[in-house]
Amino acid sequence: MGDRAAVGAGVCAGQKLSTALGLLPGLAVFERDEKRERQMLENLACWAGRFTPTISLAPPDTLLLEIGGCLRLFGGAEAIIAAALAGCSEQAYSVSWAAAPTPLGAGWLARIGAASVYPEMAGMQSALAKLPCAIPGWPNEVENRLESFGLKRLGELLTIPGAGLRRRVGNRPVDDLLRAWGDLHDPQKSFVFPENFAIDIELPARVEHAEALAFAGQRLFASLAGWLHGRQFLVRCCSLQLTHDEGAPTLLALNFAEPAADEARFLRLLREHLSSLKLKAPVEALRLQADELVDMPSASAQLFEQAAEGEGALACLERLRARLGDGAVQALGEAADHRPECATRSHEVVFDFGLNFSPKGTSFGARLTLGPAVASMVAASGKTPNPPPKIGRNRPLWLLPKPQALPERAGSPQWHGPLKLLSRSERLESGWWDEGEGGAAGDVRRDYFVARNPLGQWAWIFRDAEGWFLHGLFA
Amino acid sequence: MNAMPLPVALADVLARGDVWRGDTLASLPESAIPSGHAELDAELPGGGWPRGNLTEILVDRSSVGEMSLLLPALAQLSAAGGWLALVAPPWLPHGPAWAAAGLALERLVIVQAGKNAAWSVEQLLACGGFAGVLAWPDAGISAQALRRLQVAAEGRSVFACLWRSTAAAQMPSPAPLRVMLNPAAEAGLLSLRIIKRRGRPVSRPLDLSIPRPIPYLGRSSRAVAGSSLSLVAARGAAATPVA
Repeated sequence: MGDRAAVGAGVCAGQKLSTALGLLPGLAVFERDEKRERQMLENLACWAGRFTPTISLAPPDTLLLEIGGCLRLFGGAEAIIAAALAGCSEQAYSVSWAAAPTPLGAGWLARIGAASVYPEMAGMQSALAKLPCAIPGWPNEVENRLESFGLKRLGELLTIPGAGLRRRVGNRPVDDLLRAWGDLHDPQKSFVFPENFAIDIELPARVEHAEALAFAGQRLFASLAGWLHGRQFLVRCCSLQLTHDEGAPTLLALNFAEPAADEARFLRLLREHLSSLKLKAPVEALRLQADELVDMPSASAQLFEQAAEGEGALACLERLRARLGDGAVQALGEAADHRPECATRSHEVVFDFGLNFSPKGTSFGARLTLGPAVASMVAASGKTPNPPPKIGRNRPLWLLPKPQALPERAGSPQWHGPLKLLSRSERLESGWWDEGEGGAAGDVRRDYFVARNPLGQWAWIFRDAEGWFLHGLFA
Repeated sequence: MNAMPLPVALADVLARGDVWRGDTLASLPESAIPSGHAELDAELPGGGWPRGNLTEILVDRSSVGEMSLLLPALAQLSAAGGWLALVAPPWLPHGPAWAAAGLALERLVIVQAGKNAAWSVEQLLACGGFAGVLAWPDAGISAQALRRLQVAAEGRSVFACLWRSTAAAQMPSPAPLRVMLNPAAEAGLLSLRIIKRRGRPVSRPLDLSIPRPIPYLGRSSRAVAGSSLSLVAARGAAATPVA
């Protein structure tokens, strides 16, 4: 098989390598690798899970999709085919196709590049009748023998008695013929979507720039999206492993803020990660693995277009996290600690179906954890609204990262002028348990005051053994 | 757009949301968010903080009640299930205080954007999933970057608020609403001046009473403060030799 440039130069199948190199000196020759072809066909079958659940592989190169049951969903065979062809060309596969009532008929017509839909049995049969008798898979002598009989087209085979033909060319061609014509049932072994998703592709050339990996990644994520659809899963995190020719592979973990199955969203996040990735060595192969899966909640499509434009909050946040770093995007939370600097506990924004989709607040999606479990922190459920804590009412909205020492003049602390204390002291004495631990707030003994300076700024200040400190701002 | 010229009455044109007459306030197509201050709502086009438009709040000195001014509107957005984002806030938010103000903390996102603040705000506005985005951009944010933010916000039902210093008041900005805050001459009030809005200019500043951690009593509070101060000073002096 040659690409377009090679075929244009006259290179074709069956030539000797030296002949082909003579025709096109710069020809790049690859050895055929049937294992990889098979792998590719399975990847493509995974991807095709988005169109129909009934897929069968017909190795070495044919994929059969049963689309009769999905016509209504997609709005006609043309729509499905257009979507499938667009998807294939995005992944840079060259495809020849046909749609017909019988699997074998469709396969034969696709092989000659029919590229059309035969909705009726009769139309397909007349198209099949014109095909030459060279059917791949039939023994070579069958074609030779048929030619010696003067039979060149499949249609001519049907005009002679079946029993005689069976005796002369064997059972298989005749049975195939009957299956193709729809006179014999032709059950197909349907493709079983793999239990776990992990596929790898070898890159045709070493890739040195991370951005160039986005294209190869597109195939992987297209397969992932189809597989998720076929198995009715959503993925919460997956990992992309970049294999280098030497050295340890690079592992890129893609964490989604909410379980997702949307290919475009995968790719946006991938690009964000790749743009900040520095490759330490050229990449040879990619491996994509779905680490943590969640059952897809059964949801009906909306009758009217109600979804807001745009990708939504969580998809946006996961892209921000990919660019800004892991700790940069956090949701706020509270911790039961009297020390102000410990009372705020921020955590990753994580979305759980158990929280939002289940009617009773119980965990709805049985979670299937394949890789290392990611601790998911779920914010308190809205079902039991906590009464607003009283303590927060006279607390400042902002805290300084570190208390700022205030000078003291004439007995009163100074912050843009003398601070006037407006409240009685509030004693906070807590934290003996983590005294001396690195990074911990430690044991604090402070008297807090609400204070105001002549400029009208309200501050939360405290006094301890070391003097006055500014700690919070009543913004 | 339409090939056939339709007879259009002037009244119909004037009734459109994006057309305003110089002597009245524009009524915005997107519903505004009541600010919680009736006298302020009366002056804001649409009767509240606008959605789908940039709002600039210019304030130099912090902790004069600038955030408390927005809290009623933010609490309303949060109670309706909306997500709120704070981009590049200058200090650390203190969780209990925000929760006490009625905000759902699990939907309050802090983005430490660093140099990518403008980009992050643009993404947050454009994604359509946020009810409110408050951002503290760099002092040197360009008019072009502001323009991009305004475009990103347009048509979304998001309350987009930028905090800038009053020095920016002299510079032109694409934000349709610009508000300057100062502590009022009368202690305990916040003076708010609308320096730009869709409508006739506002001549006088509004003095708003903003909830403060404790009621401000003016001079009479001195007695309280005096006694507690002396108490602490005495305790502090006593504690020092021990420590």
